[in-house]
Amino acid sequence: MGSVAYPLVVALWLLPLAGAVLCWAFGPRLRSACGWLAAGLVGVSFLLAVASWGSATQNLGGVLGAHQPLVSWMPGFDFGLLLDPLSLIWTFIITGVGFLIVFYSIGYMDGDRAFARFFAYMSFFMFAMLTLVLSDNFVGLLVGWGLVGLASYFLIGFWFERRSAVAAARKAFVINVVGDVGMMFAIFLIVANVHSIGFGDVFAAAPGLSDKLVFAICLALFIGAAAKSAQVPLHTWLPDAMEGPTPVSALIHAATMVTAGVYLVARCAPLWNHSGSAQLLVATIGGVTALGGAILGTAQWDIKRILAYSTMSQIGYMIMGVGVGAYEGGVAHFFTHAFFKAQLFLGAGLVIHALHNEQDIRAMGGLWRRMPFAFWVMLTGVLSICGVPGFSGFFSKDAVIYGALQHGHPWIYAVDIVTAGITAYYMFRMLFVAFLGEYRGEAAPDRAGRESEHGTHAPGWVMNVPVAVLVVPSVAVGGALMFGGDNSPWSRFFAPLYGTPSSRAIAVPPISEGVTSLVVFLTVIAGFAIAWQRYASRGAQADAPARLRRETERMPAVLTNLFYVDWVIERLIVRPAQRLGELFGRVVDPHVLDGAVRDLVFWARWLGTLVRSFQTGLVRAYALILVAGAACFVVYYAVAAGLR
Amino acid sequence: MPVPTGHYVALAAVIFFIGVLGVIVRRNPLIMLMSIELMLNAGNLLLVAFARAWLQNAGQIFAFIVITVAAAEAAIGLAIIVTTFRPARFVDVDDVRSLHG
Amino acid sequence: MLVLVTILLPLAAGAMLFALPREDRSVTRTVGVAVAVVVVVTLVLAGTSEWSFRWLSRPFQAAFHFGATPTSFWIALLLTMVSACAIAASRVARLRDFVALMLLLEGTMLGLFLARDLLLFALFWDLMLVPVFFGLAGWGEHPATAWRYFIYNFAGGLTLLLATAAFGVIYGSTDVIGRAVTPLVGAWAPWIYAGFAFAFLVKTPVWPLHTWMPPTYSGLPPPMVAVVSAVQSKAGLYGFLAIGLALLPHAVHDYATPLMALGAVSLLYGAVIALVQNDSKRIVAYSSLSHLGLVAIAIGSGNALALRGALVYIIAHGLFSAALFLLLGYVEEREDTRLLARLGGIGWKNPKLAGALCIAALAALGLPGLAGFAGELLVLIGVYQAGYVWPVIVALVAIVLASAYLLRLYQDLMNGPEEADVPVRSDLNWYEALTVAPLLAALVIVGVYPAALWHR
Repeated sequence: MGSVAYPLVVALWLLPLAGAVLCWAFGPRLRSACGWLAAGLVGVSFLLAVASWGSATQNLGGVLGAHQPLVSWMPGFDFGLLLDPLSLIWTFIITGVGFLIVFYSIGYMDGDRAFARFFAYMSFFMFAMLTLVLSDNFVGLLVGWGLVGLASYFLIGFWFERRSAVAAARKAFVINVVGDVGMMFAIFLIVANVHSIGFGDVFAAAPGLSDKLVFAICLALFIGAAAKSAQVPLHTWLPDAMEGPTPVSALIHAATMVTAGVYLVARCAPLWNHSGSAQLLVATIGGVTALGGAILGTAQWDIKRILAYSTMSQIGYMIMGVGVGAYEGGVAHFFTHAFFKAQLFLGAGLVIHALHNEQDIRAMGGLWRRMPFAFWVMLTGVLSICGVPGFSGFFSKDAVIYGALQHGHPWIYAVDIVTAGITAYYMFRMLFVAFLGEYRGEAAPDRAGRESEHGTHAPGWVMNVPVAVLVVPSVAVGGALMFGGDNSPWSRFFAPLYGTPSSRAIAVPPISEGVTSLVVFLTVIAGFAIAWQRYASRGAQADAPARLRRETERMPAVLTNLFYVDWVIERLIVRPAQRLGELFGRVVDPHVLDGAVRDLVFWARWLGTLVRSFQTGLVRAYALILVAGAACFVVYYAVAAGLR
Repeated sequence: MPVPTGHYVALAAVIFFIGVLGVIVRRNPLIMLMSIELMLNAGNLLLVAFARAWLQNAGQIFAFIVITVAAAEAAIGLAIIVTTFRPARFVDVDDVRSLHG
Repeated sequence: MLVLVTILLPLAAGAMLFALPREDRSVTRTVGVAVAVVVVVTLVLAGTSEWSFRWLSRPFQAAFHFGATPTSFWIALLLTMVSACAIAASRVARLRDFVALMLLLEGTMLGLFLARDLLLFALFWDLMLVPVFFGLAGWGEHPATAWRYFIYNFAGGLTLLLATAAFGVIYGSTDVIGRAVTPLVGAWAPWIYAGFAFAFLVKTPVWPLHTWMPPTYSGLPPPMVAVVSAVQSKAGLYGFLAIGLALLPHAVHDYATPLMALGAVSLLYGAVIALVQNDSKRIVAYSSLSHLGLVAIAIGSGNALALRGALVYIIAHGLFSAALFLLLGYVEEREDTRLLARLGGIGWKNPKLAGALCIAALAALGLPGLAGFAGELLVLIGVYQAGYVWPVIVALVAIVLASAYLLRLYQDLMNGPEEADVPVRSDLNWYEALTVAPLLAALVIVGVYPAALWHR
């Protein structure tokens, strides 16, 4: 299975690690060069990914793509890398979009007191994410899974003097460990039944496993996927994760890491194909998350939190897509989402940067005149995420929505269409409130480039160029690759893995794809119209501050409390565990367990006191006792002899 | 005509009980030490008597060992008595109770 | 012969140190570190060579028989490494006496792990309590802790000695560790196993015999607690592996369920208590209770893969608990307190300290790529393969809890706003960093390539 490109794969995997180690070890000396070093190494990594394109799609020795074991833990535990169409797509996004975001960060993080540390973490994240997608076995996947969680933890808590950031980082990590633990359980099931951890072996053995077992494996794996991809009910960490710097939100909490769940389901398609109930579960959770995220998105005021909920919602789409079996549809939505969501986050970063870390859209307004570049970036991003025909988001989202119908899930199809309308509403709401009307904030948008207290200054070309580059794929990549159903370049690229989309469809839908697109577009128009009426119409703009205040006050409690999920977790799990810990630590340990030992000591002392009273200290008393004892013996033996 | 062994045993018993009584009743440590010597010698008498009765030397040899031990004991006992009662006027074992529990 | 040198050298050096002038701190430390490093070298050179001298022939055969088995070699290497780091990190009052005790501790524990004779094992089992007793009595916070430690562990030593004697009388020889022997069966076997098991469970410790451990661990000075938690606590687990499973496999198998149940209870109990402790050393102490429960589960399962994982986890736990205790010692030295509620934000001024503590904490919570994960995964795969589902689920819950309390430990110390009222002193200097670097490096190496431990 040796392939010419294999050393390239190893190199593209390890380069970000080298970047991380260099930035970490020599950070204080390299200072600003760290950013360029990290970006450069990721850029090379991207070029290597492009160079190994050919080998990823080759079918060598029965295994698709470049694959070779690297190191062996023990028999059956071989670690190796696998570059096939699926991991190649992820590698492109990780290194390509990653390169742009690292580049952007050079400007965004300029002047931060932990500049080098930031790039060390970013490089480490990319190494971890590449480990995740390039691994050819479940344990390697789990290793990557854990390491991206760590990188995410570091970057959420990057500004660790803020208590909120520290708490958010801990929450994200612990919830992700719940996911890791689920995946570990899946590995136990797999090893116990298949005796191998390699993807190839497991998938080959999948048809021979019982339905129950496959469902259990899928369920355990999906706990991992749900935690990582912020699916209901393990989603609460994602909005909090916005405590990290904005480029982190763009790369990790929008484009790459949170889509790992999508990757997992797409990677394990052979397992899911054997369990209809697992597919239904995943699709349902994806649909619920898409809808729930969208509904919560309508109630947010923080620009990054709006984007976070939209991310959650869009990942819901992807999970739903891969869940129903429309694998290339779900992956396509990941692909386009990575571009337009990174673009939205980076655009939001431009705004936040210029407004000195102001994130509340109520304190914005009228920015389109002051920051036209940011406005146009955000506008194209919003159009793309809403699925306006022609933009990339349109093609991938339609593929997902229509896939639900094709695979016989009309309810999920309906939920998706409703969600599309809500998405349009809250995305345009964000755009209108932040960019239209009159400026409502106190901080003056800063374009002069003067140093502020955090050392931030107006975005320079370092920040604008990557955003501009991202606009291109987020507008055009969908039309270029995903147009044409079974014959689109996208479907043909994935055909060796999954076959063509229509060949797997189990239902001939009563509604054609064209009609679906039309219906989705109409709901999007409706969402847009409501947002326009409420926030952008002449009347709404006239008394915008009062309206926004009123809306804030009247926001339903169920939305401001985020459906009470955090509350329930706190009451049902966190506090009982703490109470139990206090009970064990303050009562059981000192009073019950140690108390038992102390009781032993007490009775030993009591016995001692009793025996002490015989020790009078009178020699003659001792003699008397001695004689009495001897007399007893004599009497006993005399009587015994007499009886005999 | 040899004296029957039973007589020796009876004599030894009498001597032994005189010794026991002495230890229990008297409070003068010197007298108590002498009473202990009496008990030991009652034992010696038995050892010698039975050695004679069964015609085995071991008992006689053992009697010598007992005498040696008794001598050592008397020496140590007297030393203890002297050191213990040197500061006191009266010689009374009941006054020495520092080992009480 | 070299193996004898390995054991006697620290003992002799420890005894000789008392001849040094009391106030000569630098000479003391130089001698201590030099001896500890030489012992690492002689241990590696000795490898698995053996040395034997006849001891008893009645009522059973016994010998002064020393030599590493493949399992004990790694534990002994861990011991010598941790000892060297800990002696180098020692900065207490009356340093000469302390380093001497550390060397005596190292020597007696080397004797324990390298003993190939049960009676010798039992002898060193009791001997190794002595330096720790004096450590607690001389440098601890409360003298009662020293007695509690000693009495608990000595009670264990007593049952161990009884079981050893019974084994020797029945089997005819105690020169049996690391040999292929026919397993002991019969009516006595469960009682002998009970004697061994009690000693091992107290030493590990396993719930409910653990109450001596938190005060001992929080009372001892950091270098000594590093050695005690890293290696002395492994004496019991090593005993289960080398004595229980090798000599009395049927008894271990028959009573596997209670052992695993105790392990599972320890796992959860320790983790839940660690969630709410305020004293940072106590958090690590209770985490130790929790983590070693996992090894008890592995031993109970008897699965080959789980036992391999148990060895990896024993080594991993030794490395990360030693590193954690040493680093918490540095924190306490800098801030004059170790209470989480009083500390915060140290990371800004002490990035190296924060980084090192982070790696150690991550290894402890089982981050993939570090040693703890490798051990944990292998153990749990093995236990699941052996057909035990509930212990596995309990362990997974404990892993989640571990991430919560270890992050709490790390974050409350290092992150957050800087506390204004605690003194902030300089970051780890190169010497201090050097005392923990070998441990952290070993964590990474074992984590990436655990197979090294059984490719010998």
